[in-house]
Amino acid sequence: MRLTLKIFRYDPNTSAGPHYDRFQVEADPNDRVLDLLEAVRGDQDDTLSFRRSCAHGVCGSDAMRINGLNALACKVLVKDLNSDTIQIEPLLGLRVEKDLIVDMEPFFAHYRSILPYLINDEPLPEDGKERLQSEAERERFDDTTKCILCAACTTSCPSFWADGQTIGPAAIVNAHRFIFDSRDRGRLKRLKILAGQAGVWRCRTAFNCTEACPRDIHITRAIAEVKQEILKHS
Amino acid sequence: MAHLKTPLQGYLGYRGREGQTAFLLHRISGIGTALFLTIHILDTALVYFYPGLYEEAIGIYRTTLFGIAELFLVFLVIYHGINGLRIAGFDLFVPQRWNIPTARGSFRLTLILTLLLWLPAAAVMLYNLLHHNFGLFGG
Repeated sequence: MRLTLKIFRYDPNTSAGPHYDRFQVEADPNDRVLDLLEAVRGDQDDTLSFRRSCAHGVCGSDAMRINGLNALACKVLVKDLNSDTIQIEPLLGLRVEKDLIVDMEPFFAHYRSILPYLINDEPLPEDGKERLQSEAERERFDDTTKCILCAACTTSCPSFWADGQTIGPAAIVNAHRFIFDSRDRGRLKRLKILAGQAGVWRCRTAFNCTEACPRDIHITRAIAEVKQEILKHS
Repeated sequence: MAHLKTPLQGYLGYRGREGQTAFLLHRISGIGTALFLTIHILDTALVYFYPGLYEEAIGIYRTTLFGIAELFLVFLVIYHGINGLRIAGFDLFVPQRWNIPTARGSFRLTLILTLLLWLPAAAVMLYNLLHHNFGLFGG
């Protein structure tokens, strides 16, 4: 099948402002959007810039807007788009560096702000080995361990679009992962951060984050659970 | 204006599903209601400060355009209330039920409830509008 790719282009080193370029490509219905981008870069325009790494939905490098929805280019099949024209744009709310590449630093700054690591200064168990937990304790935060920090959720969040200051779904998901970890002792610190002006109360339950998550994390549920935890400790 | 560009691009261009529609409708209904209440408080204040102007303000409320706008306003107020209860209900009582099927389904239920509550009110308001402004139903 023959497809038209309408791709957002921007190069800060040229006088041309942001615009869209169209490319005609031959595609198989089972091709992924990433395959099409590779085909364009390989055969038609080697200046096209986009991020990719594993190409199998694990690294989270190639999140972008495909036909108006955030997704990983390596996980979206042509046949699932049901369209002869595919519009590909960079993630919304982050500064475009070139073409489909955005500056991810504000996203990672929000991630770092919630202390995304185990906090526990208590002495190690008597055997000096692992801090054990039951299956049920591990299950409590299993869903939120799946985040790959692709930013598809945060950049689909209306509150994040508004000013970029909102901490965003990905940071809250990663905070949830530690807040509900029975081994962690940094819960109150994180809850204090998330109770702030840019924290969980900015969630409008628009569900764009949950719909966009390539790992099917129940993001809005995790945010609501953190809200409840804040209320319990306030 | 730069601050408005990204949200507007998102609101208008991002193809979110029921959740985004619910959010946008909630925002529009909230702003619309707040604006109406502000105008309403100001025009009611005219009774004390400028009674003559108050009569004129009430006259404007009786125009057909305002009558039609009020029909939509009632829809927005009812929607805003029910949708707020929907979100608060999930957030406060059953956060573990927040998932894509329940979010989509509960939004549709919100719209149905809003319509069911709005239609009788709209019928009465429409009757009054046609009665007073167009002389129908013996007006």
